[in-house]
Amino acid sequence: MNQPGPPNAHSGGGGGYMPQPRQEMEYICADCGAKNEIKSREPIRCRECGHRIMYKKRTKRMVQFEAR
Amino acid sequence: MAESTPKIKIMKGAAADLSAATYQIFDESHTIGNALRWMLMKNPKVEFCGYSVPHPSENLIQLRIQMYDEMSSLTALLEALSNLDSLCETVEDEYRSSLGSGAYERWVEKS
Amino acid sequence: MPLPTASASITGFDPRRHVGVHAERVSHVSSTDYPGHYPDEDNSWDLDKFKQKLKLKVQRLSNRSIEFDFVGVDASIANAFRRILIAEVPTVTVERVYVWDNTSVVVDEILAQRIGLIPLNVDPSFMDIKENPTDQATDRNTLVFRLRVACTRNKNAPKGSTDPKELYVNSDVLSSHLEWVPQGEQMTVMAGNPPAPTNPNIVLAKLRPGQEIDMELHAIKGVGKDHAKFCPVATASYRLLPDIILNPNKPVPPHLAEKFQKCFSPGVIRVDPHTKDVSVDKEKARNESMSREVYRHPEFEGCVQLARVRDHFLFKIESEGFYPPERLLPEAISVMRGKIANIRRAAEALLEDNDGPRDVEMADG
Repeated sequence: MNQPGPPNAHSGGGGGYMPQPRQEMEYICADCGAKNEIKSREPIRCRECGHRIMYKKRTKRMVQFEAR
Repeated sequence: MAESTPKIKIMKGAAADLSAATYQIFDESHTIGNALRWMLMKNPKVEFCGYSVPHPSENLIQLRIQMYDEMSSLTALLEALSNLDSLCETVEDEYRSSLGSGAYERWVEKS
Repeated sequence: MPLPTASASITGFDPRRHVGVHAERVSHVSSTDYPGHYPDEDNSWDLDKFKQKLKLKVQRLSNRSIEFDFVGVDASIANAFRRILIAEVPTVTVERVYVWDNTSVVVDEILAQRIGLIPLNVDPSFMDIKENPTDQATDRNTLVFRLRVACTRNKNAPKGSTDPKELYVNSDVLSSHLEWVPQGEQMTVMAGNPPAPTNPNIVLAKLRPGQEIDMELHAIKGVGKDHAKFCPVATASYRLLPDIILNPNKPVPPHLAEKFQKCFSPGVIRVDPHTKDVSVDKEKARNESMSREVYRHPEFEGCVQLARVRDHFLFKIESEGFYPPERLLPEAISVMRGKIANIRRAAEALLEDNDGPRDVEMADG
């Protein structure tokens, strides 16, 4: 179970398996939930509320499950 | 089911004329086992009939048939199967005619 | 304590027709109508006799359930149909879930399982069974659904509201959010009745602003013995018709008639207002709960024998999912006949092998 792999039917889904062009990583503020970017050599600080804890976003890579 | 595994096997120890034999029927359960046992017992030429599910993790039943007068248990099995089929047909006809008559209470159930 | 031998001697109790119900036990459970059981009686299978004895009468029918009387068959036949209804009538439900994003509080595994349990309004006869999980998914054996829901704040929410349904958009993920994605020829075959959940209001998860779900669902055809989500019925059950046999040689004392009546379900026992004679309402006897309350009162000992009619089955089938209730029994019968045909083919092949050189495939001991 849970092996990542593309669905084998001709799906209409946007295949999250293709390597996507590198983009700026977004983080979520643990306090207010605002989207933030973290840049090197800059303090990790929410631009909305000043909170210093950030969460990484969940991967958009496809995961497969059996509905059992 | 692939043809490589047969649906029915006759178990070792059967009489050469098949007047007494145990049949292994694969991928079947009490559903067919008990119904078939009943129909075979309705046959006066059958001396004994019984079935078992030897183990719950093996998906098969064993059907034992013993016949009077050295008759073939395989013929009896085929006869029981066709009788069972005509029983099903009769039940379906009866159901459809009852449903068609409309002589029953109709009501609405919320889901 | 009434002994079964004693009570069976009450006129009216027929051990061939009745299953005795006693205070602590049941008696005369097995059927005896086999050839050779009674001397000078035939009892062998006879289709014409069966046709005469068989009665199948629909009693109540609703949009969700059906009740019918199935009279004149052995328990092994009635039970075969019940078992097939539960375990072998096929339906279509979600089997594989491909998750791209799920930031809800419901974890992927749980959400996938919940989605599998949603009944879909798909006619299984339009689809083939995908025999093997490794088989190629095609438009003949797989339906594709898309579930994409994101929760946002509702800008027009009334001031001071605390109701999540007003404050947010898509605060609930519902079964109606499943969106069918037709594959291949499905668009033409299923256009008349596009696949969707039978109930649009099943809550699958709850979301709050910023959370979203994005998944693809593949539904296949399967049977209940593989997984309960494929079961087409909520319940399919039968009980035997209750029969209350009053002893003509020991009538209920008139001053105890009302007490006697209260030992049974409402309406089952009638009491004559003048003579206080007790009688059984045959129509309402089917509602008797068989509580055996009469057996607790020594003053009624020997007055009555509770029994059930061995070949009178009261079926109740509650449909859940695609099939209208009246279609379920015919489906079960056709599954049964399919099984019979399958075994017959194998048995005929055995017979041919056996007629030729003796080389039957024997299984090990």
